[in-house]
Order: sequence, then C-alpha cells, then structure tokens
Amino acid sequence: MNELLEIKNLSVTYDGKIAVKNVNLKLELGKFHVIMGPNGGGKTTLIRAIAGLIPYSGKVSVNGTDMKKYRKSHSIGYLAQRGSQFYDMPLSAIEVVEMGRYRFKEKSNERRKNALRFLEEVDMISRADYPIGDMSGGQQQRVLIARALATESKIMLMDEPLTGMDPKSQSNFYEMIEKIKKKHGLTIIMSSHDIGFTTAYAENVFCINRELVPHNEVVKLLNEPEVVKMYGPNFRLTKHYHLHSEENDV
Amino acid sequence: MFEILKFPFVQNAIIGGEVVAVIAGILGPLLVFRKMSFVSVGVSHGTFAGIALGIFLGISPLGTAVIFAIVLGILIGFVSRTGKVSEDATIGTLFAFSMALGIWLISLNKGYHPDVMGYLFGDLLAISRKDVYFAIVILAITSFWYLKRGKAIIYSSFDEDFSKIVGIPVELDYYLFMAISALITVGAVNFVGVVLASSMMIAPAVSAKMLSKRFKMITFLSIIFGMVSIFVGIILSFEFNISSGPSVVFVTTTIFFISLLIKWLKNIQK
Repeated sequence: MNELLEIKNLSVTYDGKIAVKNVNLKLELGKFHVIMGPNGGGKTTLIRAIAGLIPYSGKVSVNGTDMKKYRKSHSIGYLAQRGSQFYDMPLSAIEVVEMGRYRFKEKSNERRKNALRFLEEVDMISRADYPIGDMSGGQQQRVLIARALATESKIMLMDEPLTGMDPKSQSNFYEMIEKIKKKHGLTIIMSSHDIGFTTAYAENVFCINRELVPHNEVVKLLNEPEVVKMYGPNFRLTKHYHLHSEENDV
Repeated sequence: MFEILKFPFVQNAIIGGEVVAVIAGILGPLLVFRKMSFVSVGVSHGTFAGIALGIFLGISPLGTAVIFAIVLGILIGFVSRTGKVSEDATIGTLFAFSMALGIWLISLNKGYHPDVMGYLFGDLLAISRKDVYFAIVILAITSFWYLKRGKAIIYSSFDEDFSKIVGIPVELDYYLFMAISALITVGAVNFVGVVLASSMMIAPAVSAKMLSKRFKMITFLSIIFGMVSIFVGIILSFEFNISSGPSVVFVTTTIFFISLLIKWLKNIQK
C-alpha cells in the first residue's frame, strides 16, 4: 500500500465565513502535488491548515498518524508566500537558514556547518553572509528553500512560491525543486494559480474553489469544464514544458 | 567638569543609567524592527498612572508602576494580536487615559503633591541606590530572557509562520517580549522620566540601524549609543541645571542626526 497524506472532511471558517469546505484528499507521499484555483479560492487556507498554522475541523494524517501528533516528532518544510517574510530585519542568508535548524538543539558551529550544507544545495553558499534583504527575489527564494530543507522534513508545503517571478526564474525554480525532491525523497504540496509551468512539472494537480473540484491526472483535469468555469470565459491555457520549448494551446 | 562624579547621587545616576542603556540597547532594535516603537511610548506614559497610584495608596510608586506597565504592555499586545483594534489606536487611547488617571490620582492626594515634573521629565537628584539595584535586577531578567529566547524572538520577527512550524512558541514569546519591554520602560522612566523614556529605547536603535545591516552590530551600537547618551546627558544635566530627561534626549537626538548624516554621505559615495 502506498504511503499517504490523507485529508478528511477538512473545513476552515473565518469569522463565520467558509473559506474551505469539506475537503477530502489522499496524497501519495514522495510526489509533487499542486493545488490550483482562483484567487480567494482557498489554496493558501488549505496549505496553512495542513501546516497546522490555522484551526480547522476534520482530520489531516500522515500514514494514519494525526498531523498534530506527527508534527511533534517530524518537521514540516514550509515555504510561505513571497512577502510574508520581513526582509527589513537585518539577517544574513545563513542566519535565515539556521532558523530551519531550531529543533535540532545544535552548538552554533555545528548549526552553521549544517546551514552551509543546505545553502550549497541551492547554489547560494557564496552569499552566506550577505544580508537577505539586499538579495534579488529569486535569491531570497533559494535561501528560503534552503531553510525549508534545513528542517530535514520529508513533507514540504509551498504557498504560491512563484508569485512575482519572471518566466525564467519560474523555470529555474521548478528545476531546482525537481532536483531536491529527487535527492531528499520529498513530498511537495504547492499552491499555485499559474497553470502553465505547473502542469509541466506536477505529478498530481487538483483544484479548489472553496470546495474541491473533482481531481484526476493532469491532462484530464485540464479538460475539466469546471476549471475553465473557475478561471472565466476568456480562460486560455498555455502549456510550458521548459523555457524555450514548444508552447501549445490546450 | 568630571568633579561631579564624586557625588554619590551622580554616581547612582550614571551607574543605574548605564545599566538601563544596556538593557534598552538590547531591546530597542527588536522594537524598531518589529515596528513597535510606539509601544514604548504607550507603556512609558502608562507608568505615570502606576506611579500616581503608588503615591495615592502610600506605597512604593516603583512597584505599582511595574505592575501597571506590564499589565498595559500585555493589554496592548493582546488587543493588537487579536486584531480587533489597531495597535496605534489602542496605544493612543490608553496612554491618554493613563496620563489623565495619573494627574487625577495625584490631585486627589490632599496635602502632599509630589514633583510631577520630576516624574515626567526625570530628576537626577531623585535617583537613589534603590533605583540602581532595580536597574540591575531588570538587567539580570533581560539578559536571562535574551539568552533563552532572543534567537526565537528574532526568528519570529523575521517570519512568524515558519517560526511556528519549527516549534517556536510565538504567542508566548510575544507576550513575554511585551512584559520585558514594559519592565525596561519603567527602568528608563526612572532616569529620563515618563515623557522621554521611549527615546532611550528607540533613538539609539534607530541610529544604529542607519549604520549597519547586521543585527548583532546594530544591537552593539545601540547599547554604545545609549551608554554615551546617558553619560553625556547626566553631565550636561548637572552643568546646565536642567532635568536629566531632556539632557539625555538631546544627546540621543544628536547621535541620531550624526548617524543620518553618515548614512547620507555613504549613499552619496555609492
């Protein structure tokens, strides 16, 4: 039997308004899952609920272990939406990555050594002592990926990590994600409103618009009339395989 | 000029003041980077009601000031975090109320009217050995807190969600931070008065922020600027026979403008 992250009857309510309603999902571990949907459709809410950052009703479990219990003994990697970090805070790249080592109770030289190891994985070791606030958006994102990796978790949640990135940076981002996923055997659950690149890299895509839109494999999903309905009558999907490769209207 | 150092009350003022400068220097950068500078303004004004309550009840004003400030700090934090009312609106309302309550309690105190100006703007002559011990106790509490929770509070200032994910008790740390800020503010009130105490917390940190992009260096400079301000401010206070509060604030503000000038010159050279 495949290992699973299972979501049962998950609902989230803010001030009496339903943000996510009755979501049921079985996500195979070790895969790259993408949550798509329009703005305000509940993608971020679902990611934050899985991460345990907001209260919810229902159940999230990993191989049958309740997520709250799982989090006590396992870390969860988390890459928040761009802009939710406070870059005015004068921290260097390595200090940011060291945040990911918080649970490990290491001595400072050991923590630094480990943090450097993860910065090297995202090709940012040369900028270890550089203030993160002075870096480009793409470089900041790499440092945050290194920080998520530094938690040594097997499940990584990413909330709209591509916001504000140009196509080349998006392509680079996906290539890096593929590399680290393979190396660390990660399960990645990412929210995105961008359909183009996502469909080329994701192994499983599902859509949410408060409620879950019935999901299936990528191509079938893209033909779901519900998806087109969600994105509006002028919706056009362009499928990118890699930058500079063919582009097809779907 | 330095012969004044032989007076015990000046020694008290300088030793206690330097201790307060160290703790304010540690906390100031965190307040500035968390955009909570106004919190120290609110809490320092809040202590006035605490002081007045102590005088009214005939008990130690310092004790009531500490309790009042910590309660006020946590209350501001609670209202701000629960998001029902904005932080600045809460502070704006509560600090005016605290000042009004303080004046009302003092005017109720028939017969004895303490030197209100001394509490508001600082009084060098009023600094006792007890105030110095109080500052040292705050230093011990702050140092212990910073060693244990400093890294965690820096992390949550940068990214609160990720801090929660890695197991940092963000809420508890926040309220602890508010309580420590309130305690330090009371310490500063003793030396520069209610109205000007926030300058001890904020001005050295803001000046340091203009000169460095490293948190550790900013904290170090913030401590140094605070210590210089206290020392020079107390000397000026004695020499020109003015309240210690304004003298210290003149120095912190001078350092602020010098830092601004250095930053401006650095930007021109780029």
